[in-house]
Amino acid sequence: MSGFVGGLIWGLAAGTLIAIAALFGVWWERKVAGRIQMRIGPQTTGPAGILQTIADTLKLILKEDITPDQADVRVFRLAPLVVFVPVAMSFSVIPFAAGFAPLDTSVGMLFFLAVPALSVIGILLGGWSSRNTYATIGAIRAAAQMISYELPRALAVLSLVVLAGSIRPLDVMAAWSPWWIIATAPGFIVYFIASIAEVNRGPFDIPEAESELVAGYFADYSGIRWSIFMMAEYGGMVAASLFGAAVFLGGWNWLPGIGGILVFVALTLALVTAMVWVKWTYPRLRADQLMSFAWKIMTPAAIVQLVVVAVIAPWL
Amino acid sequence: MAVKPTPSATDRREQVGAPIATPTQVPISVSVADEFPQGIAGFAAKAMSLVTGLGITARRAIAAPKTLSYPREKYPISPRWRGPLVLRGVLGREGIDLIDAPSVDYNATIDTLHREQSLAPCVGNCPANVDARGQNYLMADGHHIAAYELVRDRNILPGVLGRICHHPCESVCRRLQYDEAVAIRPLHRMAYEAYQSDRPAIESFPLTQQANIAIIGSGPSGLAAAWDLMKLGYSVTAYEKDKTPGGALLTGVPAYRLPREVLASEIANIVEYGLDLRCGIEIGKDVPIDHLIGEYDAVLIAAGLQISRGLPIPGANAKGVRGALEFLSDVNRRQDADVKGKRVMVIGGGNVAVDVARCALRVGASEVRLACLEASNEMPCHPWEIEEGLDEGVIAMCGNGPEMVLEQDGLVVGMRLRECLSVFDASGRFNPVFADLFTDVDCDVVVFAIGQAPDLRDLVAGSDLVLTEQGLLPVDGSVLSTQQPGVFACGEVVTGPGSAIGSIASGHEAAISIHRFLAGQSLLADRVFRPVPTFPKYGQATLDGVESARRRVEMPLSAAGERSRDFRQVELGMTRLESLNESARCLRCQSQVCVGCTFCARTCPDFAITVERIDDPGHRMVTRYDLDLSKCCYCGLCAEQCPTDALVHTGQYELAFRSRELTISDIAEMRRDPGGTRATGCDALRAQERVEP
Repeated sequence: MSGFVGGLIWGLAAGTLIAIAALFGVWWERKVAGRIQMRIGPQTTGPAGILQTIADTLKLILKEDITPDQADVRVFRLAPLVVFVPVAMSFSVIPFAAGFAPLDTSVGMLFFLAVPALSVIGILLGGWSSRNTYATIGAIRAAAQMISYELPRALAVLSLVVLAGSIRPLDVMAAWSPWWIIATAPGFIVYFIASIAEVNRGPFDIPEAESELVAGYFADYSGIRWSIFMMAEYGGMVAASLFGAAVFLGGWNWLPGIGGILVFVALTLALVTAMVWVKWTYPRLRADQLMSFAWKIMTPAAIVQLVVVAVIAPWL
Repeated sequence: MAVKPTPSATDRREQVGAPIATPTQVPISVSVADEFPQGIAGFAAKAMSLVTGLGITARRAIAAPKTLSYPREKYPISPRWRGPLVLRGVLGREGIDLIDAPSVDYNATIDTLHREQSLAPCVGNCPANVDARGQNYLMADGHHIAAYELVRDRNILPGVLGRICHHPCESVCRRLQYDEAVAIRPLHRMAYEAYQSDRPAIESFPLTQQANIAIIGSGPSGLAAAWDLMKLGYSVTAYEKDKTPGGALLTGVPAYRLPREVLASEIANIVEYGLDLRCGIEIGKDVPIDHLIGEYDAVLIAAGLQISRGLPIPGANAKGVRGALEFLSDVNRRQDADVKGKRVMVIGGGNVAVDVARCALRVGASEVRLACLEASNEMPCHPWEIEEGLDEGVIAMCGNGPEMVLEQDGLVVGMRLRECLSVFDASGRFNPVFADLFTDVDCDVVVFAIGQAPDLRDLVAGSDLVLTEQGLLPVDGSVLSTQQPGVFACGEVVTGPGSAIGSIASGHEAAISIHRFLAGQSLLADRVFRPVPTFPKYGQATLDGVESARRRVEMPLSAAGERSRDFRQVELGMTRLESLNESARCLRCQSQVCVGCTFCARTCPDFAITVERIDDPGHRMVTRYDLDLSKCCYCGLCAEQCPTDALVHTGQYELAFRSRELTISDIAEMRRDPGGTRATGCDALRAQERVEP
């Protein structure tokens, strides 16, 4: 029972965290994108426009919740949650501080890689139930893309597992030492790129491609349901950054105590910013380029990384 | 019912017969390999290009933003919302302002209106700024006498000008944009007829000033100046060399356009108002001008133009060659010009030439030809004049210049004309180009109607006034003063050959100068001159589908065959009922009072506006003005074209309604003062409840 209550509390906390992360992420993205385009970005609502996303959220909640006539209504309504819940769950295994992860499980690394991948089911449900050609094509593209990028991402993380000799995130963090950054640099880059593709962000936002597919799999969603999709995207972005900042970059290992937490937050923020930066720098890839990039470059690179790590690990 | 199969594309192609060209395919291939080498080096180059891209965006992000900070500007929306359109005034509830400033302030009034962009085009385009809008406003309510008196203040002879004016007012009438111009000139005439048939008692203006003024000439400009000065309280004496007053109106305007009794009665009215008119006294011959200058405090020379210009061509001195003014003067004085049964050739294309030609027909010429340099569509005369002339039998020979007068034994036997290719050169200067193509026309009389000049030598003889070599009197064109203090000039002496209304305008200006001179003020200081605004010239609107009630009243003309033999009036005038209808057509431009013209409703692309009005003379009013906000698209076209500026497109409106009835703005809503609160529409609903217990 206490496990259920604890899970409930952690679940609520994670939900709140994702909501705040999404609010902040949207605002931060708009500010950075604005600066990259020599603009200012949001500026009127609150200091530096910080309250703009809250106002937008209110607007989205108040908007009419439209369900298409021909849609499979129950699946249509369910889909955003099926996308969102795995992303929320992935937060539970992230090692936030020394000796602390909300869900301290011995298969944490696997959990983090496997559970968010369930989102693809929600995306397929959403795209299919809309009964809209654009949405269906977007959903199928998203499924292909996400499954393709699972592989290099998992291989990149695997090299850390080999180095630490454990798939429990806290064990990996405990075993972490700074030279790992050099040893796993190619793996980190592969992880970072694959994470961007995993959350369907530019330049890999082919499933959403506005100019080709209107908005991809959530073309027919409006109001708060639409914003749950967006929250899942920003949540996934933050989760990937938190996890990468922890296991690849050392997270709180750099400084003891609260200082370590601050370093961890700073590293996470840097990764989020880098994702935004990349999105607003590069044009969108074509679907075939995306696939060949995943299979011809990312996967071999991750395998080479794994082999290198596997060769040097016994000598440690 | 058999359904016809739709022909396929191939079938149709066969039907048309021509093969459809297939566009040649240009292969487009852009490969990354074109830019980057293959292999490891290529991979590295690609990776570096990605880093370069990141570098570019990072530098951009660090640089200062180029856009401005958005101003924290909050546009205050009235707490009491309303629809987007507001009516400033409505016919039947608000009157319009008449322009009735005293003559010394009139220019300033017009100038202010012009600056406020509230000057009606008809008023602004008139040289004397006659308040035609006010005239129409009064006449539509049946106040013809008040309308006459309003017009007379700026246009001293409304009955005369109502027949002969070239009506610059009508040519810029806003109504031209929609259908046809309002018949302002015929309405002047109607106002005169109403005034004359029911003339109020006239009391002469009181003499409040010590000074007395002499005016030389009793033409339109002299009379206009006299009127203004009499109103200011001066004692005014007008000297006329002829036995009957009227100046060029009498000698130059044919009686078929202007019956003499109209001119005589209007001048008689002015005399009743206190003008001391002395006819048959020619200044310079009977009385020297120095005598006037000594006896009067100010002298105004309004003598007009007396002599016709001739041409120095061979045969110009032959017997039978005449000037237009002498010819017209003969016709007007004795209804005969010694051309009975003769063939007359008129040289010139202006209004005077057409007058001469039409008069020649009336005094018995057997054939009248009119030769002018210009092509028929470029003639300087008014198109309606030459049209009426052609109807009566004048033969126009456009595009021919005079080469020489053919004479035999000193008598005119014909005229040699030379074809003219163009009259004006590229820069618009008078520079006719002739072809070597000559036409000989047999005629017995040649009349030159190519311009007039003043003859002032006798007039100024013995005074300090000096004429130029061309015989012109040097006059300051703006304040109308001459070399000698206290002597002023106005009318065609100053302006050259022009319109009657232009002469009247200069008369008003001269009156201001004289008043300032006599009051010891500077002629120029603080003086406001008449603004000369330009108004858009609208092309003739298409009249297809225009209801007959909207059309201009047609001026009946007497039959061309009958009228060309005598001097009866050609234009027959309108009835009182027609005048009421016609003046009601006036849109009262720029008055900011909605006249219910319905042009906003006609303009509205969404049919959101409904306008109704009743047209009973004296009770004209707009009874309904509905705006359906649920249809309105806020384009503002209605307000853009509103001729009166009564309809205003506001930026303050709110579209959240509690009740569907509130989406219709009625006339009260359209005129509502934007004060108080109506944020939820509650007070309107409560008002409804009060009305319906």
